Parts: sequence; C-alpha cells; structure tokens
Amino acid sequence: MSRWTKFLIAVVLGAAGGLFYGWVVNPVEYVDISPTSLRMDYKADYALMVAEAFQADNDLGLAVRRLALLGNTTPTDIVTNALDYGQQHAYAAQDLTLLQSLGEALLKWDPKLEIPTP
Amino acid sequence: MKSDRRGSWYLLTGAILGVAMGLVYSWLISPVKYVDAPPYALRADFKDEYRALVAVAYMYSGDLLRAEGRLAQLKDENTAQTLALQAQMALANDRPEEEVRALDDLAMALGGGVIPANTSTVSTPQFTSIPASSQLSPTPLIMETSVGLTPTLPITPTVSNVLLQISTHTPQPTPTVTPSPTPGAPFVLQESHMVCNTNQLTPLIQVEVRDAAGQPVPSIEVFVTWPAGEDHFFTGLHPEINLGYGDFSMTPDVVYSIHLSSGGQAVSDLVASECVADDGSRYWGSWYLVFAQP
Repeated sequence: MSRWTKFLIAVVLGAAGGLFYGWVVNPVEYVDISPTSLRMDYKADYALMVAEAFQADNDLGLAVRRLALLGNTTPTDIVTNALDYGQQHAYAAQDLTLLQSLGEALLKWDPKLEIPTP
Repeated sequence: MKSDRRGSWYLLTGAILGVAMGLVYSWLISPVKYVDAPPYALRADFKDEYRALVAVAYMYSGDLLRAEGRLAQLKDENTAQTLALQAQMALANDRPEEEVRALDDLAMALGGGVIPANTSTVSTPQFTSIPASSQLSPTPLIMETSVGLTPTLPITPTVSNVLLQISTHTPQPTPTVTPSPTPGAPFVLQESHMVCNTNQLTPLIQVEVRDAAGQPVPSIEVFVTWPAGEDHFFTGLHPEINLGYGDFSMTPDVVYSIHLSSGGQAVSDLVASECVADDGSRYWGSWYLVFAQP
C-alpha cells in the first residue's frame, strides 16, 4: 500500500472520528430556540392554548400575535395543522372544537383593523 | 531510506487533518439541526410567553392537571415559584392585568392554593412522536355554512366527518373559577407579633396576606408611611418563603404605618424593638403581620 493511500485512509478515519464527535458525542446544542423549532405535538398544543386563551379573552389580534411565534406560516395554516394533528391523535372533541372555533374566527380576521401595538 | 526516516508521522498528520475536516463539517457546515425541539429548549423570553399562555389557558379551562403537564415541559426547578416571580415581573413591566392575574392564580393553585372546582373534562393531549403524515397532509379548515362566512380557504371533500360534526355546534366556554381573593372583601389584621431571629440583623416589617380560604395572596401592594416619607412593596416577591409574603426594612426609632392597597385595616405605631439573645446581646427584631380576608 502506497504512502498516499495510507495517508488518505488516515484522513478518512480522522474525518469519521471528527464527524462522530461533532454529531454524536458533542453536537451543537441549541438552548435558546424559538417556538418555530418546537416538535409538532408541542406546536399543536401551543395552538390549542391560544384557542383556549381566545375563548377567555376573545382577543383575536392577541391570538394572531401568539400564533405568529410559531413561524412564518399564516395563523390559519398553523391552526389548520394543529387541527389536523389533533384529529389524527384523538384529541378530545372539545379541544378540536376550540381549534375549529379559532380557525373560523381567523377567517374573519382583518389585519387592517388591528391597532398596531407600540 | 529517506522515507524510513520520516516514519509514520504522515499518518498522524492525516488523521488530525481528517478530524479537523470532520469537526468543521459537523459544527459549521452541517451542524445538528433541532427541528423537533421540546419547550424546555426555548429561549427565556419565549419560555415566559409559554408560561403566560399556559396560565391564560388555565384561566379558561380550570384544568390544573393539564396546566401542570404543560409547565412540566419547561423543566423549571420550582414551577410555582417561577410563575410567581414572572407574575411580579409582569406586574412591574405593566403587562396586561389579565396575564398577571392568570400567572398569580396558577402559581397559587400549583403552590397548594385553591384548585378550581370545575376541572374540565378536556383530555390532556399526549406528547407523542409525530407520524410523518401529520406533517405532510394538513387538513384545511371547514367553514360552517350556518355561520354565514365567506370561506377563503380551500375546501376539500376529503375532510372527515368528525370536523363537520363538531363544527355544527357552538363551543361553550367553560366557566372559569379562579382562586382569587373574594372581590371586595377587605383584608383584616389577623395576627401581629414580634419575631426575634438572630440571623435577621435588619429589622423588618414582614407582611403575609391570605385569602378567605387561608391561601397566600401574591401581588398585593402594601403601602408603608412614616413621618418623613412613604414607600410600598408587593407580596409574592419571596416565593421561597411564601407566595403571600413581602417585607420592608425598618429604620430603628422611626414609627411606621402600613395599609394594603386593596383597602382594609391599617396598622400604625410600628417601631423596631430589641430582642435579647441567649448570651445577653441585643439585636433588632421584626414585626410579623398577617392579613386575611374574613
């Protein structure tokens, strides 16, 4: 085996070791993530909390701002996805109703009517 | 013979080069991406938002178990204490009154306070792994025709009947029972005594506020006046002692009066008094006052 072949094998083994260390042993840790990165079940529960809060305060603008933390998708899409997830994972009918109710309210929501928050 | 003198160092060089390349790739070029993160990895301000939302949702549902389950995802060391502190911060930062109240109420409920009687029948969602299908096939919302709205979302005929069924009745908000103090009931002085504590060198006015059920009440503003001035403090800033506890440092020989912002009985003529230790030395004692709703 030539010297170059051995050298390349050493490089490959070293790279494999580096990748193993960087991905498995000591991967980059995200400790300050945004809600956008939450797992889908947590996102669905977050949307459900927004729906519950909406029932309590009836403030659609506030609900939209809360949903906006979940990412760049529209509030309606977020609630739709949560509803879909809830359906597939046997959420209680009351929870689905809350999400449905919020979704329907969002269809009526006009951002132009919102008073900008300073 | 020249190559023999170089030995096997080239192998070590290659390995080090490889490790460096691997680390650069795994840390910089293609680091691990957390796309399915749990709530405890959220940034501190997002955690605050999350807690506030849990509290407001609890105000609606009154489901303490569900609220506990949600807060547990944040892995706070002491959930009730964290909520109480956040309530105080929210109060200081002029956050909406409803949010402060919700945080307070949930902190009290979790701290062993009043648990709403109407624990809802809503089931707690189980946090499970996500089937790929749930991410790939979002179901469009179904517009209820009786509502009379113009649908702006696409309606597909593949939606299950479940949604159609639940959309035919209007959700009734669950009545909210909050563990807040009885509105209007004034706090009266229930107990007042001197506390001699050798570990407490500064004399204090220590106030504890309880509701009619005997549970601590945070966020009560207490006004302190003395001949040369006045000040105020809030209960709940020392949740490690008691959620309804607050204190104020006294200056010896100054006569203080206090009253709660929510009205009720005022207490006057509070002066720091001396205590005697076992070895005969003297130190300042504190006043401990307990206010409660009748």
